[in-house]
Amino acid sequence: MSIRKTILVACGTAIATSTVVAKTLEEVLRERGIDVVTRQCKATEVGSMTSGVDLIVTTTPLQGEFDVPVIKTLAFLTGIGKEAVIEQIIKALKV
Amino acid sequence: MDGFLAALKAVVDSLGATIALPIIIFIIAMVLGAKPGKAFRAGVYVGIAFIGINLVIGLMWGALSAVGQALVTNLGITRDVMDVGWPSAAAIAFGSNVGLWVIPIAILVNIVFLSLRLTKTLNVDVWNFWHFAFIGSMVAAASDNLTYGLIATAIAAALALFLADWTAKAVQSFYELPGISIPHLTTAPSVPFAMLTNWIVDRIPGLNKVNADPESIRKRFGIWGEPVILGFVIGLVLGILGFYNAGDFNTVLVKVLGLAMNLAAVMLILPRMVSILMEGLMPVSEAAREFMQKRAGSREIYIGLDSAILIGHPATISASLVLVPIAILLSLILPGNRVILFADLAIIPFVVAMFAPLMRGNIVRMIIAGTLELLVGFYLATWMAPLFTSSAVASGFAMPENAILITSIGDGFLWPPALFAQLVQYAGAFGLVILAAMLGVAMFFYLKNSKAWEVAAGAPEE
Repeated sequence: MSIRKTILVACGTAIATSTVVAKTLEEVLRERGIDVVTRQCKATEVGSMTSGVDLIVTTTPLQGEFDVPVIKTLAFLTGIGKEAVIEQIIKALKV
Repeated sequence: MDGFLAALKAVVDSLGATIALPIIIFIIAMVLGAKPGKAFRAGVYVGIAFIGINLVIGLMWGALSAVGQALVTNLGITRDVMDVGWPSAAAIAFGSNVGLWVIPIAILVNIVFLSLRLTKTLNVDVWNFWHFAFIGSMVAAASDNLTYGLIATAIAAALALFLADWTAKAVQSFYELPGISIPHLTTAPSVPFAMLTNWIVDRIPGLNKVNADPESIRKRFGIWGEPVILGFVIGLVLGILGFYNAGDFNTVLVKVLGLAMNLAAVMLILPRMVSILMEGLMPVSEAAREFMQKRAGSREIYIGLDSAILIGHPATISASLVLVPIAILLSLILPGNRVILFADLAIIPFVVAMFAPLMRGNIVRMIIAGTLELLVGFYLATWMAPLFTSSAVASGFAMPENAILITSIGDGFLWPPALFAQLVQYAGAFGLVILAAMLGVAMFFYLKNSKAWEVAAGAPEE
């Protein structure tokens, strides 16, 4: 059994593109047997949202330094290069 | 066709957005090739989202209309047009009779334009089709004619493709997003304001050399970037102005803090509700993306995405942080303005995102252009508020008693909805012809001399 991982998904609104990324991540990672929960936030809120988070995935550039790895990707929106990013995310989660 | 539409409208009207939209979403998802289970779940989620949004809007409108009336008595300023925010506008647009048709219409327009080589953009950002439906529902409300609304929706979808193509090179180089364009009707219409501001500022000695450091602004104004805090502070300020004489100290305290908490709650809960709507639309947007990508062929295309991906840029964040207090100040001092800002202060980054390439990330210029666009926006919004409000009522949203008017910065403050609705209101079908002709002329000159147009929108000259 793996430990549950938490992914923070950031975009400009915490509504539109981050929902697409969060729901896709939940689906593809659970298919691979990885237990994840996602949280969504705005790019400007990331700084106060990182506690208990294993990985940040964002669709827009983030400012500042975080003690959690950050992956910036548009692959879940465009459909291009999706598999490679999923592999990268799994590696970053260290499961 | 009109008879069929009228009959369908009657059915849809009696069902309401909570029931009609889920059915339509289910059908569209099936047609585009989604699995039945996913399509059904999508429809149910969309219905849930509308129930949730209606609940939160009820809370917000109740709180805002009470303080709005108190402001009128206390300060003698009429601020009876409430900013209900773009999430409300999106729900109104998708929930309108036009909204039921926007997804097939926009896909059709995109495929026709791609096959005629009139655009390079494949708009996979199905969620933001709501802007086209918003324009269409304003036109339908202005003309009382659903067919006009649907045609306006198609023209708006084409306008978004044109603006996306025109600004694509600028966006790609400034934001380092190869192959992406932004067919987003909150963001793209700001280009003319940026051009005008650049022209003016270039001619003012001293000012034309000024810039500011994004990092220090972000640190100083950082807390304004968090909508919940923003909602709370605005609740405090409005509460004190509106209720300072509402009774003894205890009553005033309860009213002021109560308003602050209510508005902070709206800032957190309303986006959550709208993200349920987004989640419901996801199977449709995924199916639509695959459907369109299959038909787009192999030549060079731009993938059209949400401007949410631009918002993290330091220049964009910093300029919008400074624009928040400017916007609040403008809403209080502008003579003739009736709009009181609240929910959409968090959308300002979307309005300024397209300034950045043209201004090479110069924050001072972005703030000037943003102020200019907001200034015009207050009057457009005041002017268009009755239409905005009647669109909301037509979409079945519960308006509070003693009807206030509503608007939002996205897209009530912007020129495309105002231009579309006013032209059709005064000229009827001929207004639609004028709109299509204006777009056609702009596209003709753009396609003839793409390079110069793209440089004018901020693309590098090379």
